[in-house]
Amino acid sequence: MSIDKTKYDALVVGGGIAGQEAALSLADMDYKVLLVEKDLSIGGKMIHLSKVFPTLDCAACITTPKMSETARHPNINLLLNTNILEIEKDNGIFSIALTIRPKYVKEDLCTGCQLCEWVCPVIVDDGFNNNMVGRKAISIAFNLANPKVAAIDMNHCIKCKKCEIACVPKAIDYSMQPQNISIETKTVIISTGFNLFKPENKPQYGYGKYPNVIDAMQMDRLIAPTRPYNSVVRPGDGKIPDKIAYVLCTGSRDTSIENAIGCSVDCANNPICSQICCMYSIKQAQLLMGALPLADITIYYMDIRAFGKGYEEFYQQAKGMGVSFIKGKIAKITQKDHNSGDLILRYEDVTTGTLKEAKHDLVVLSVGVLPNNEIAKVFTNQKLELDDQRFIKQVDELLSPSLTSIEGVFVAGTAAGPKDIPDSILSAGSAASEAASYINNI
Amino acid sequence: MKQRIGVYICHCGGNISDYVDVEQLGKLMAKENGVLISKNVMFACSDSTQKEIEQDIEENKLDSIVVASCSPKLHTHTFRNVAIRAGLNPYNYTQVNIREQCSWAHSDKPMDATIKAYGLIRAGINRVSYSEVLESLEISAQKVVAIIGAGVAGMRAAVDLARMDNQVYLIEKGNTVGGHVAQAGRLFPTNENGKEVVDRLYQRIRQQSNITLFTNATLEKVSGSIGNFWIEVKLGSEELKLNVGSVLVTTGFDFYDPKEGEFGYRLSDRVITLPDFNKMVENSKGKLIHNGKSVKSVAYIYCVGNRQSKGENRYCSRQCCTAAIHSSLHVHEKFEDMTAYHLFRDIRTYGKQELLYQQSSKNGDIYIRFEEKEPPVVELKNGNPTIKVKDYLTTKRELTLDTDLVVLVTGMVPRTDSNSVSSKLKIPIGIDRFFNEIHPKLKPVETVIKGVYIGGACQGPKNINESVQSALSGAAKINATLKSGNINLEPIIARVNADSCLWCGKCAEVCEYDAISSIANGGKLIAEVNKATCKGCGICAPTCPSNAIELAQFTDNEIESMIDGLMSKAEISPRVESQQNNQKAGVQSLAGYPKIWRTIANALEGNTLTIPQIAEKIDQEASLVTWHLMTMNRYGFVESAGLNDNEDYFMYKLKK
Repeated sequence: MSIDKTKYDALVVGGGIAGQEAALSLADMDYKVLLVEKDLSIGGKMIHLSKVFPTLDCAACITTPKMSETARHPNINLLLNTNILEIEKDNGIFSIALTIRPKYVKEDLCTGCQLCEWVCPVIVDDGFNNNMVGRKAISIAFNLANPKVAAIDMNHCIKCKKCEIACVPKAIDYSMQPQNISIETKTVIISTGFNLFKPENKPQYGYGKYPNVIDAMQMDRLIAPTRPYNSVVRPGDGKIPDKIAYVLCTGSRDTSIENAIGCSVDCANNPICSQICCMYSIKQAQLLMGALPLADITIYYMDIRAFGKGYEEFYQQAKGMGVSFIKGKIAKITQKDHNSGDLILRYEDVTTGTLKEAKHDLVVLSVGVLPNNEIAKVFTNQKLELDDQRFIKQVDELLSPSLTSIEGVFVAGTAAGPKDIPDSILSAGSAASEAASYINNI
Repeated sequence: MKQRIGVYICHCGGNISDYVDVEQLGKLMAKENGVLISKNVMFACSDSTQKEIEQDIEENKLDSIVVASCSPKLHTHTFRNVAIRAGLNPYNYTQVNIREQCSWAHSDKPMDATIKAYGLIRAGINRVSYSEVLESLEISAQKVVAIIGAGVAGMRAAVDLARMDNQVYLIEKGNTVGGHVAQAGRLFPTNENGKEVVDRLYQRIRQQSNITLFTNATLEKVSGSIGNFWIEVKLGSEELKLNVGSVLVTTGFDFYDPKEGEFGYRLSDRVITLPDFNKMVENSKGKLIHNGKSVKSVAYIYCVGNRQSKGENRYCSRQCCTAAIHSSLHVHEKFEDMTAYHLFRDIRTYGKQELLYQQSSKNGDIYIRFEEKEPPVVELKNGNPTIKVKDYLTTKRELTLDTDLVVLVTGMVPRTDSNSVSSKLKIPIGIDRFFNEIHPKLKPVETVIKGVYIGGACQGPKNINESVQSALSGAAKINATLKSGNINLEPIIARVNADSCLWCGKCAEVCEYDAISSIANGGKLIAEVNKATCKGCGICAPTCPSNAIELAQFTDNEIESMIDGLMSKAEISPRVESQQNNQKAGVQSLAGYPKIWRTIANALEGNTLTIPQIAEKIDQEASLVTWHLMTMNRYGFVESAGLNDNEDYFMYKLKK
């Protein structure tokens, strides 16, 4: 790679779909890009998904080539498992301090063969599968990870050395230390994405208390090709569900969350709409009709917001397939009895104006989008402003949607507010255009 | 003929292997003539498999590869790049589609899907064995961009393209710039004025010396291809011919024009559209006055001309809900004692726009929900409207509303002249009649015509911010294409055999891209193909009476060998469930693993049980057993033993 590893044209923060798109667009224009990702692989939230609306392309089919292109582009350097400590702007140049956290596996030696994973006896929650299944303390982040190298979860490792013995290329190194580096760049693109609402913070829905109340990301995992259970079954007892409910607007369009137990800033009131939940729920419903032809699927909604290209048609298609749509906000979810694991949903049926109860054997909470704005704290001598919802503020939303409060810092994707995948990609292309115009005129 | 072929058959994580017996096909293909390596892979497109293929090519000196996975539309470039990185000519690779054409199309008949895949892969192997080394064509490109349509999307893209050092021709049909936004009044979400926004943008355009704006300019004809298009523009009586490297189409949209009588439209001056209403609000001071009469109450009827499940506009126009609510907020702020009724189907104030909806509710606006099958009825008495509507929010109670004004919240439709633009530039039109991109996620601003991009609302309804983002996305792609001044083109184009060509002209007649002309050669005329203009559609080849013109990669040898491959009889045996990649773990002992694993294993010793049965037997929570059992399954200690009698639970057994 012919890149000076300390001087770049652009730093892209976050390797989800928006970050990859922005990095690729700039790299294709011959700018030198450093892409920094805090996780072990690029891919962001999209790589977790099964299929994507409204085309029902498999998410991996769309995103893995992009990941691969990003990882291989001669103008892109990739830093994974890396945190940004400080960004300082001086004379128009950004100085960035970074720390690369240790993986305890030498990346250049690891072949991704997974022999270490087979011998490791320590079982931990598999975050990629939203903790619905376990994985080993040494493992590859997920099947399609890029780069495909193992890492050790040092919080759980018992240093039994089985992996060290099994590893043929001798890639395991328990003594690895964090590595601090600094770089300079002319521009910064923030593509840090979003956080999903934590459904525990809506205690009346019973998430975490009743095992058959899951969130929509867990359902996407259950129906993905790389799914944890090889089939769609309930996490509570392995039953094949036949009456599934979707609760839309969980943690969105909701100003009643603030007094939730243990609520931090993460789960404060979220009055806005998350823009994606209607559509991903409809998508999952269609996929479930395919996977479980006998199951009844009911979507409880406030408004169905099928607004994008082909979305209304996709919604009508789901209705045509037999998905039930009931306008009503769910008030409370309780478990019928411990043995059956079935759930009772209490709601107001708006069409009839009556309070009703319905029994379902699996409930999916369609959780909303919350800001991920940690990055704002690392700017030392400039202030990266946030908007009222604590997303990165767009200072000229209509004409220059990527501009932030700091000249030379641009925002792409959901870091600026909820967006679906096509809109995130367009926003990233737009940020690349604005960043390139900016660099070209410094 | 190739002798060192590598064949890769993809599971697509179950998308293919759930139906097509890929393992068996992998074994069968290994026996084919010329095949050196035949492998099954989980995701052919994943980075690790790409690396594996590269390694195979290098280590085994493969002379060609076949990837049997999904549609070539998705991954042709992915695997061509694999070949290039490994030093193999990218045209010595063939893609075989066993997903869209086999597993997805024949999911009800897995055996037949496998037989079909067998034929297709054999055809692919035969074809690749005749594949030739082809080199892409490099042409020089003009760093000049034509932007068709000077609404905000086109204007904004012009600014960035100019700032990235491209010469820009901004071509506008009307006599002013700014399109619909210039007339829109107050805009959501920033409350800026449309005219001011357009003025601000216009100032930025004027600052760029490399933008030339043509107004009253009509697009007459487009010829050429990426790098060198010729755009003919009519300016009054003058005709211009512009040589550009790329074209960005930002021709925008029209508002739906309601039919006479649609909710009383045109039958009374008290029924108007939202854009007209906005102008009225903008121009009224102190009191809202319409045709001399004071307006105190307004009913907004949503989804007019949109979301018609049986009509021609099935889509949602995405910005109208917010636009109507934003107007209502403006009215509330500007005039006293106004009553607003919103007759809606779903309120689609997505994202942060939801806050406007909440503010409107706080202002006391009244929301009434109707369904498509029972739309509101507008009755007119002496021109005064009365609306009858069943409110689905209050048990379908029938309401009668007398309002001073009915505002039809009209959606967006493709421009009436969009067919003329699309036919000149050969841009495909979607089912919704807007311009169609290649793929909403992979190529969201690209069209099938290389070098022609689309941005803004000409590709579907968008608000201002979204239009600008898509147009700027197009600008980024165009700049990347033109930046070096050179463009590489596909070599899959027609070629002429000079000996047998007699220049009858039949090929030139059928060519839709005007790519074929005659040229003198050795004392006779023969056909010549313009390499930059030829799209490789192949329509010329079958028309030639002397078989003198052929398409690279689709030669007679290749096609005929594919037919042989397809016709060959498949000997497929019924599927045997394979052990896949979990084999090695089965023999591992459970020593060192969590205690509950050993307890579960003991319970399953000699039994097949469901999760609740195991949970009962070992006296543990079923959810805990699920988590551990699934993890044991993942690492090959247990496996599924089919469904129980009620078919509601899987049963599990120890893996041998």
